[in-house]
Amino acid sequence: MIGCYDFCGHYEWTFGWLEQLGGHELVRAYWDEAIHQDSQTHASGLIGSKGFEGMKEYWGPTLADEGAVYERTVMDDVFRIDMHECPSKGFLIRNGLHQYTDYCDHCMGWIGPLMRQAGFVVDHEHNHCGQCWWEMRRKADSTPASAPGTLGGDKDVRLRPGWKSAHTDHYERATDPDDKTAVS
Amino acid sequence: MTAADPASPLPYTDTKPVGHADFYFAVNATFRFILRHHGEEALRKYWRDFGDSYHKPVSEQWRGRGMPGVAEYWRAFFKAEPGAEVEVHESADEVRLEVKTCPAIKHLRGHQREIVPEFCQHCYFVNEAIAEPAEMTVRVCGGNGSCTQRFLKRTVDAPPQNLEDIATAS
Repeated sequence: MIGCYDFCGHYEWTFGWLEQLGGHELVRAYWDEAIHQDSQTHASGLIGSKGFEGMKEYWGPTLADEGAVYERTVMDDVFRIDMHECPSKGFLIRNGLHQYTDYCDHCMGWIGPLMRQAGFVVDHEHNHCGQCWWEMRRKADSTPASAPGTLGGDKDVRLRPGWKSAHTDHYERATDPDDKTAVS
Repeated sequence: MTAADPASPLPYTDTKPVGHADFYFAVNATFRFILRHHGEEALRKYWRDFGDSYHKPVSEQWRGRGMPGVAEYWRAFFKAEPGAEVEVHESADEVRLEVKTCPAIKHLRGHQREIVPEFCQHCYFVNEAIAEPAEMTVRVCGGNGSCTQRFLKRTVDAPPQNLEDIATAS
């Protein structure tokens, strides 16, 4: 049986299998169709109908059940997550699993299309070490991403001594997993 | 064997004792995606490749430890799956799982998810791919919420798996 206990290993292995079968486009389609539009319909429903309130309702229980160590900052115009210990990437690192080129892209792979459909854009960075941050704003709001510490306070993941890595990916007002630039 | 916890019979271990059941949504959705894009043969290949590759450490464990290793693995496996009710019966030549409540089917049904009809076949194809290098074979009977899975030595004269013995999931 394929279980949920080690699902993240299965999930990451699947990205590599799909890429071999149909290239990057098939992996992108998988994140959008299978994860965003099928597996995570509960997230789409909440965020599409309730906006920021739906984000609170979705990510609160989900990240708790997954065992994440994170901080959430919710204002009237922005929803921010500081992920200090990603349960998913952490599982892969601890178990030495690496089948796909960039596992962390899967989050933008399904959350990006979901946010686009719900009328939001995303500022985001992940350092491939189990830390990342997200800011979701309405598409019409042109406010740029916050400077470190100004929104998340001392819980801002960018203030961690180990935040800077050799390979950090950066997204700005994005909804597409490929709309990223590397930060050194 | 790669293991975060070398004492565990599971090759890949987590810091939390039980998995997050919503991941069954993604397992089901993954099967549907492969079926829709590439058809049934591709889905079977996906299951076989997954058993061969990702679960290679399990095959090695079963080959080295025999039936006691198989029984240990499944006891630890189902302990970490939320809502599973499974009996593991072990003898010298066979390990038999009596799955009283399949945690995946239970969770998918509980959340009114459309279950891929071929869902229960994955247990046969994945487990057979794990068992073969360990010189074992698997027979699955039932499904759609409860089933029997037998892990046998390849030397035993067992009729081949009849896929019609595996229930359509709904």
